[in-house]
Amino acid sequence: MWKKEDAKSQGVAENSPDAAGISTAIARQGSGANRESNLSVPVSPRAAASISQGIRIKGEVTGTEDLFIDGHFEGKLSLPNSSLTVGPNGEIKADITAREVIVRGRVDGKIVGREKIQLWSTGNVAGDLQTERLTIEDGAVLRGRVEIETGKPLEKHTEARGAAAGASSKPSSLPVGSGSAAD
Amino acid sequence: MSFLNKLGIGVGAGAGGGRDISRGIAASNRPRTPAPASTAAIGATRAPELRESTRGSNGLKEFLWNLDGLGRGTLLDLGPAWQTTLSFFIERGFRVSSEDILREWKEFLVEEEAKLRAATGSSSEAPDVSPIGRASRFLETNLRYPASSFDAILLWDLLDYLEPVVGRQVVSCLTEMLRPGGIVFAMFHSKKPEGFQRYRVVDSNSLQVISTPALCPAQRVYQNREIQDLFSRYRTMKSFVGRDQLREALFIK
Repeated sequence: MWKKEDAKSQGVAENSPDAAGISTAIARQGSGANRESNLSVPVSPRAAASISQGIRIKGEVTGTEDLFIDGHFEGKLSLPNSSLTVGPNGEIKADITAREVIVRGRVDGKIVGREKIQLWSTGNVAGDLQTERLTIEDGAVLRGRVEIETGKPLEKHTEARGAAAGASSKPSSLPVGSGSAAD
Repeated sequence: MSFLNKLGIGVGAGAGGGRDISRGIAASNRPRTPAPASTAAIGATRAPELRESTRGSNGLKEFLWNLDGLGRGTLLDLGPAWQTTLSFFIERGFRVSSEDILREWKEFLVEEEAKLRAATGSSSEAPDVSPIGRASRFLETNLRYPASSFDAILLWDLLDYLEPVVGRQVVSCLTEMLRPGGIVFAMFHSKKPEGFQRYRVVDSNSLQVISTPALCPAQRVYQNREIQDLFSRYRTMKSFVGRDQLREALFIK
């Protein structure tokens, strides 16, 4: 039976429908009778690379693909045109530069998210944030300075959301996961 | 009894025969939500549901009036990083820094407890557990900002929850970090609070009060004279008494 938790634990798949599709495709290849011929099927260039829980890396990572980190990373991360997701178990000690940064784990260092930065409720950042758009879910921990780069600061809807939440006394976590806060 | 239990923070505080500082707060009839799993930033769980209410704030109104026309001011928010609060000030041109000092304090106490246990088990020298020693160690790693780097500071009601010695040193630190003419917005409970609350800015006249699981037990209730002593280096003090036993205060350096 399909379990929601199972799907959630697959960090990449959760954030990237493309990646989920790729996983399925690869699984099908492995079980099929014509396994050898399928090995030559190219993987979509949009598949997110992943550093899983339990993997520890020190050094510098640069690239043009999306990256998901649920392990430990120390050094420097530069993905100027791609998205970086730090999973709930991810621990990063690095300055990060990316087009979009989603933090669900722990980051110690400056984050430059050219287009946007999202801090989920489990996110914990010790470092300055520099971005065009910032989304902070209730429960996220931030220790640092926020710099909004353009004249278009934090998303306008949030203030209205705050006022509405006060009136309705509903829980006020931002709909980061649904994409409405970010898109 | 462990060091944290003495402060009423440790797990199972009050279960023994000792005086339980946190009991007064925990005994409140308010329904409690479970402790947030976000403390360690591990796990995929969402933050617990928070109960909210909105209150008018003359203190905030006056705070903003004092900051009017500042242009690109700098603000330090010592509460949790709420998007509404950050949004409010950033949209008004402020460069905002955020540091949840009460969370840092709690994490510091947990580390201190671990160090103390390690020192007891080994022959290494035990850390100085006096309040002054603890306060100094805490400030060695927190509130590390250059002098005169902020125009405004949101202190909220944090002083009620910090040990008095730590509170005094925090105020001294903030005074250094504040520019001449800078302003601090603080709140003080007129009696020991029944629950633990956090605050965020809704608009220029009102604050959202959010009941959350207690991070630290209230340490003391400050009288007006004590507040004046704490902020004796400030040029002016103005306070606003609310119906909810919460006094808002503004201090201008």
